Amino acid sequence: MRKTKRFWLLSLTAILSLSMITACSGTNNKAKETTGKTEPSSSAAATATAEAKQDKVTFKIFNGVAGSKDGNTNQTTIGKILEDQTGVNFKLEFVVGDLNTKIGTMIAANDYPDVLIPDAAIEEVLNAGAFIPLDDLIEEHGPNIKRVYGKSLNQMRSKDGKIYFLPIAAQVNDFIPEPEAGAGFWVQRRVLEEAGYPKIKTLDQYIELIKNYRDKHKDENLTGMVSLTHDWRFFATSNPPMHLMGYPNDGNVTVDTNTWEAKTYAGADSTKRWLKALNDLNAAGLFDKASFVDNYDQYIAKLTSHKVLGFFDYRWQVDNALNVLKDAARKDPSLDGYNYFPLPVTFDEGTPDAYLDPPGGLVTNRGIGITVSAKDPVRIIQFFDNMLTEENQTLMSWGIKGETYEVNEEGRYYRTQEQIDKIDEPFRESFGFKYFSWNWPMYNATSTLADGNAKNVASQPEVFQMTLTDKDKFILDKYGVQTYSQLFAEPVPRPYFPAWGFTKEQNSPEQLWEASKDELTKKYFPKLVLTTPDKFDSVWEEYMKEFGKLDTAGYEKWTTEQVKAKVELANQ
Amino acid sequence: MPRPAENKQQSGRMRLFFRKLYQQRALAVMSVPFLIWLIIFKYLPLWGWSIAFQDYKPAKKFMEQTWIGFEHFKFLFGDDRFLRVLRNTLAMSSINLFFGFVTAITLALLLNEVRNIAFKRVVQTVSYLPHFISWVVAASIIQTTLSPDGTINQLLVGLGFIDRGNEILFLGIPEYFWTIFGASSVWKDIGWNTIVYLAAMTTIDPTQYEAAEIDGANRFKKMIYVTLPGIKSVVIVLLIMNIGYLLESGFEPQYLLGNGMNVDYSENIDIFVLKYGIAQSNFSLSIAAGMFKTVVSFILLFLANNAAKRMGEARLY
Repeated sequence: MRKTKRFWLLSLTAILSLSMITACSGTNNKAKETTGKTEPSSSAAATATAEAKQDKVTFKIFNGVAGSKDGNTNQTTIGKILEDQTGVNFKLEFVVGDLNTKIGTMIAANDYPDVLIPDAAIEEVLNAGAFIPLDDLIEEHGPNIKRVYGKSLNQMRSKDGKIYFLPIAAQVNDFIPEPEAGAGFWVQRRVLEEAGYPKIKTLDQYIELIKNYRDKHKDENLTGMVSLTHDWRFFATSNPPMHLMGYPNDGNVTVDTNTWEAKTYAGADSTKRWLKALNDLNAAGLFDKASFVDNYDQYIAKLTSHKVLGFFDYRWQVDNALNVLKDAARKDPSLDGYNYFPLPVTFDEGTPDAYLDPPGGLVTNRGIGITVSAKDPVRIIQFFDNMLTEENQTLMSWGIKGETYEVNEEGRYYRTQEQIDKIDEPFRESFGFKYFSWNWPMYNATSTLADGNAKNVASQPEVFQMTLTDKDKFILDKYGVQTYSQLFAEPVPRPYFPAWGFTKEQNSPEQLWEASKDELTKKYFPKLVLTTPDKFDSVWEEYMKEFGKLDTAGYEKWTTEQVKAKVELANQ
Repeated sequence: MPRPAENKQQSGRMRLFFRKLYQQRALAVMSVPFLIWLIIFKYLPLWGWSIAFQDYKPAKKFMEQTWIGFEHFKFLFGDDRFLRVLRNTLAMSSINLFFGFVTAITLALLLNEVRNIAFKRVVQTVSYLPHFISWVVAASIIQTTLSPDGTINQLLVGLGFIDRGNEILFLGIPEYFWTIFGASSVWKDIGWNTIVYLAAMTTIDPTQYEAAEIDGANRFKKMIYVTLPGIKSVVIVLLIMNIGYLLESGFEPQYLLGNGMNVDYSENIDIFVLKYGIAQSNFSLSIAAGMFKTVVSFILLFLANNAAKRMGEARLY
């Protein structure tokens, strides 16, 4: 008898423990539902007492861009000030691992943080209906949002005419180009020095420059050019034809500012000309073959190895390498020759370059939105609106007067050397510059404040001049300019810019075209560059045959439509 | 009339089963949680296979999905890219399977013969260390070694096989990829795979060796006639299990070592699914490819097990 009893007891325990698990999850769900239901009334109460001192609340934000450590905004100086103004604190969580998996889990569970910055996964989030429309909220609580995004509100609308998210940054007041070009053909300074600081305008001159230097230093085991091709960063190798023709970075197309026609260039003569140039470099032993197998880290390591004479890339991709070289040269000026200098190179002498991003439209496939799970959208939008005041925009980029910046008699903002030295990475974190540098609703980096100072600290000429070393000044002086960007042509406004920022639907023909084109170029570009010069044309024929199978006309038509629609909205 | 007898026999068997179940009730109860785990995590997800027959859109309810039948399968098998990818998968896992087994067993046999314990330990540690390096790091090491200014090219130049300036871009030559992949896998996992064989060898009765020695067997013969048969059952069970994974040629090494130039030989099913399924948010296609993989794996496993059964060897079930 006792034995049977024990058996039943055992099974009973098993069943009980099981039912407990299910019961627990059951209550959890219920709890969530009830809180969800009571929230509207509590938020109504909150708005009712909006005039009075508001209760402190904490909202959750998920940021789809890896960057900082997770944490609360009110643990930073800036975040604390914003909390004192609004009573709102944000708990920030940054993506770890794969973005799509994380967002996919949220969608599947229909459970979101209050605020979401989905980065590249924004289309999925929109399709899932995870964002609430912001139109009424902006109308009621967003005077500053209307001021900042006002011109582009129409561009921000989704297909159903509603606004679901605020793009990452908008142009406000005057446009000031960044003091350093966003892209260019870079060359080691010692190469320029030896050549006597010539004006380099064309690709042929650039290659000639590198060739001459290498020929004079045959025994140093130098590499003429490298190129970045790893994974999605392949555009660093496929984009140059666009720039060499004198167009800004529109991704897969070049856009004519007269007709607003978008044209792809992956199969055009410009691409052939660029690859032929690389092919010749390779034949002369000046191109690093490993470019096509190296990963990103190996590429960065090569750039800091002092052995590479030149390369094309975007500044943000090579920032790490350039900073390492710069810091080394600051400590030991004799290493200055290994720093890279950007050159505005085009195919032909007469073509003005377009390496500086022009003032344009809005990047509309990235942004920040309030989700359906948000407890109190009104408080959130009020916080966003409060962020966009002049004072707070100043606070977020310049900090506190007397502490992180000074103002001179003419009202110009600047930083003392002491302040520049003080603001290192740990300080940026604790002060909050890091949390508030990106991905919030804000003025973009090329904007100015109402008093004419640059919104972006680095763009303020006074500050930029202070960051230059004597050698920097010397070389800039040789070219008769004060900033690097003055070497480049003035950007021409393009109201649709950038074309790579157009929202593409998941699984659409446009997306498929891009994926297939990427695969094709990744396969054929290495062949074209590494083959012997006499076989170049036949490989090109082969590539064109494959390229011809893609629906390029359809892609161009779609992009042109998007460009024209944006331009029209901008002209309204 | 054999029926009643059969019936009787059957009911007898049933009774026997229940008696046994009752006798081992503690064991049975203990296995309940695992059964529940198995059902929840291994059988319920099979429900997700229905996605393969839909034009699946996340966030839509099950009833709102559009059903499109075998469209995704048609796309898969109609696409010559998929056939190429299938070829690569099979080739690379066969290479992996064969060389993995041969090298691991050889090393285990050799290690078993080593009398110097210190030396044996060092060899074992050194050979299984790479197993603990993640593929990301391992791929970097391999890439660096194989790059034009890497060790191998320097060695070839030094030995006079190639001229300076004509270094070989190993990862850029598609035909070399399988070899590189096989060699890297062996390097990474040989020590680890050896452990199980070494363990199996310790179970061999030492008297057998003694008997063989008395009969005049030398070291080599003992290896062939005592050690190898002694670990045969382990080898066969492992082989059957690995055949079941034949379509899982791995993801990381191919993804990390692959590049635009060797894509024709490096892309396998998993990478194809990532590129055309997940990256394009075409989840249905990924599921369809996954289903295909599971079904083929199951058939392979079943066949291998059956073959072992026929030959009267140790088997999985």
